[in-house]
Amino acid sequence: MKILSKSGFAAFVNALIQDTSRDVEGVKAKGPKFVFGPLDSASELRLDYDVTILPPKKYVLPQYENMMKFDIAQGKMVMTEQPKGKIIIGVHPYDIAAIMQMDKFYLDTHVDDGYLARRKNILIIGSNIQNVSEKGFYGAMGTSTVDSGYDLFITDLGDSYAIDIGTEAGGQLLGAACQRDATPEEAQKAKSINDGVAERSRRDLRVKPSSWHDILKKSFDSPVWKEQADKCLVCNSCTLVCPTCFCYDVTDEISLDMNTGLRKRTWDGCMLRDFTSIGSGEVFRENVEDRYRHRFNRKGMYLPDGFGFVACVGCGRCATQCVPDIADPVNLFNKLAAGTTALLAEKQLAPVGVSDLGAASGKGPLFVPMPATMKRVDKLTEDETLFEIGLDNGQPMNYQPGQFVEVSVMGIGEAPISISSAPGRDTFQLVVRNVGDVTNALHAMKAGDKVGIRGPFGTGFDTEGLKGKNLLFIGGGLGIVPMRSFINYVLDHRDDYGQVTILYGCKDPDALLFKDEIEEWDRRDDIQHMRTVDTCVEEENWDGEVGVITTIMPLVTFDPANTIGVVVGPPIMYRFVNKSLLSMGMPEENIIVSLERRMKCGVGKCGHCQINGIYVCKEGPVFNYKDVKQHPEAFE
Amino acid sequence: MSKPRVAFFDFASCEGCQLAIVNLEEAIIDVVGLIDIVSFREAMKEHSEDYDIAIIEGSITRPMDVERIKKIRAQAKILITIGACAHLGGVQRLANQWTPEENKAEVYHRHPGGTEHTTDANKFFNQPRQRAVDEVVKVDAAIPGCPINGTEFAKVLLALLQGKSLPIPDYPVCVECKKNENICVFELGKVCMGPVTRAGCDSACTNRGHECEGCRGLVSDPHMKAQTDVLEKYGLTADDILRRKTTFTYRYEEEAQAQKGGE
Repeated sequence: MKILSKSGFAAFVNALIQDTSRDVEGVKAKGPKFVFGPLDSASELRLDYDVTILPPKKYVLPQYENMMKFDIAQGKMVMTEQPKGKIIIGVHPYDIAAIMQMDKFYLDTHVDDGYLARRKNILIIGSNIQNVSEKGFYGAMGTSTVDSGYDLFITDLGDSYAIDIGTEAGGQLLGAACQRDATPEEAQKAKSINDGVAERSRRDLRVKPSSWHDILKKSFDSPVWKEQADKCLVCNSCTLVCPTCFCYDVTDEISLDMNTGLRKRTWDGCMLRDFTSIGSGEVFRENVEDRYRHRFNRKGMYLPDGFGFVACVGCGRCATQCVPDIADPVNLFNKLAAGTTALLAEKQLAPVGVSDLGAASGKGPLFVPMPATMKRVDKLTEDETLFEIGLDNGQPMNYQPGQFVEVSVMGIGEAPISISSAPGRDTFQLVVRNVGDVTNALHAMKAGDKVGIRGPFGTGFDTEGLKGKNLLFIGGGLGIVPMRSFINYVLDHRDDYGQVTILYGCKDPDALLFKDEIEEWDRRDDIQHMRTVDTCVEEENWDGEVGVITTIMPLVTFDPANTIGVVVGPPIMYRFVNKSLLSMGMPEENIIVSLERRMKCGVGKCGHCQINGIYVCKEGPVFNYKDVKQHPEAFE
Repeated sequence: MSKPRVAFFDFASCEGCQLAIVNLEEAIIDVVGLIDIVSFREAMKEHSEDYDIAIIEGSITRPMDVERIKKIRAQAKILITIGACAHLGGVQRLANQWTPEENKAEVYHRHPGGTEHTTDANKFFNQPRQRAVDEVVKVDAAIPGCPINGTEFAKVLLALLQGKSLPIPDYPVCVECKKNENICVFELGKVCMGPVTRAGCDSACTNRGHECEGCRGLVSDPHMKAQTDVLEKYGLTADDILRRKTTFTYRYEEEAQAQKGGE
């Protein structure tokens, strides 16, 4: 630990500002409040601040960020350059903890290389908390002090600063500005100043963070959610100001030349209705209380399960910003605790972060699509068209049946679409219903047109593990599309599987997809097949059954105890089909489903596709029924 | 593809929305590169009746306005409205609270010499109610705001040319206001319609410390009950709240009353 006089520190900061290699940002006054902003001089710094309006999250995940630029005429998609590096001065420990959580999240599994590049170029100078904000409860969350996550950390000792060097980069930054080591007394004083904050910043939180998981689990059906949500303005301010809310949305913006443009990322939030809406109009969290509950469950249950940290650092910003005063976690957890007992566990979950940013590395641009070309466009019905696509690099797609890709139309956007063909060919096929901007644009395309492809993503069907098993495919409506990749794979490798039965239901005869292939199913004697429509008129010469899919399930012969049910269809179908299968005696672990949600990023980052704590795009869309049935949001 | 021919028309309004477009300055040259503007009274002398896209500012007030807008609708392939007057009926819609007679008395009879303009021979006073354009003819896209945000206008135009859904948000102003890191005006002791008002203005008013008055209309699922509770909590009376809620958005009030009457 080093010691620097106050004037020496001001000179150090001014020298950083003079050196233009990095932008210097620090805490400044904005009216009666505080914000992080560009510093013109050390004298602007307000290290006596209580809390800033927005957290320094805005530097690692900016409100608006250019992810990629495109040129339609040239068919080019490239990452945009990262902005200049930054030094951020005055970050409080709870905000350092939050950045460590974001690092862990964004650099997990699929490394967000844009985030990493930006993050590596940010140096954090932390500061002790001199004034506790009215709503802050970091003392109760264990985040009033941190012992890593910063490059330098300064503690105000009155007439000088004690400076803790957290990283080699921090040490180099401080360099010759500071020669004197702290005496043991000075180091002790700095420690006790920081340790003393906890006692002043606990508020009256009666449920320790390590117990949030338990209490939330017990409270899923609590009336508290609706009581609170009825007062909610649905303004989403709570998530926007939260340092540990980091879900986002992505849009394409074309310039006035109608050729070049940018793909942009911006903060989104789970309190908004659009957050879970998909092209076909389905909204997966329609009720405000469901969204309100999701916000807390994500913080107290889902991220602890997936990443090992409670995604709340007690900064109190949500509580400050919420006009009807329902966002405050202290009040919410105390309310939930009112009806329960034994929740005051002592152990706190420490913030977990990436210790060495230098060691983290991505596999290349995560969000830049591969150029690809439409090889064949085949209109199947009024609304559905089949697209056969080849990657321009000449490589075949390497995927499992059941996986999906993100399809980009430059200037319009990106949409998740299941692969419908069996693997093992140079090209792959998508079958797309015309429901939104991207699918509209695809429907206007012809062979030779260019698209972008990312993926394959998600889990597919376990083609290896299911070898030798009897398979019962039940497809409803568009569910047949992803299912077809597996059906065709099985037919390609027919000897590897046992009895195969295919049940397919759709709205009416006009909606029937893959008519040629269905005729082939009829002809083959090594598979059973039945199809049904919800309604039809006589003139249509329908040769199948009429009625919902569950009516044809008893008409085929299969041994429920020794058959794997593969069920794909619209949300409502699962409720009825799964129930029927279970009542016929099929063990629940034999049922495999593929679930649809608003998958946007494909790599478990943007947050839209969550079913309770599950990221469908990463852990799904193919699930074993027994693994998801306990999640209330899966089938309701 | 030939450039779409675009014509601007104004009805009861201040023409400030057209000014917002003219004020795009350099960007307008690029916008003009994408379309052929064949009629724009505020910016050019030429005029043509042959157009594909009609852009309408203002509310529909007089019988002659109804005829005129129907004619425009019949000619235009796409009809876009700009601004709160065309979208909601504008501030002038507040006049619908009273009868034309009452309005006439309030505006003219109190002032010496005013009455001479208000004889029955003056057809301007045979007005029905103030109406938004979509209450008279079909509207393909409404760009809200008082005035409109010129950048949003350009984005909507581009989206139309791309065949993309219109980039008009359906979330509240708070979302943009928070991203702009403003001090919440409630914290400054003011009251704000931002939590229920449709964003897209980049929180222009609250960026300058003013409260949002709701000129862009409500989001599609506003929590009005919660908003009313909040305004009450901040000391507004029922009358204040109604006034606050209806400056630009008396249309919703009228629709709610009509619905009540119909039940």
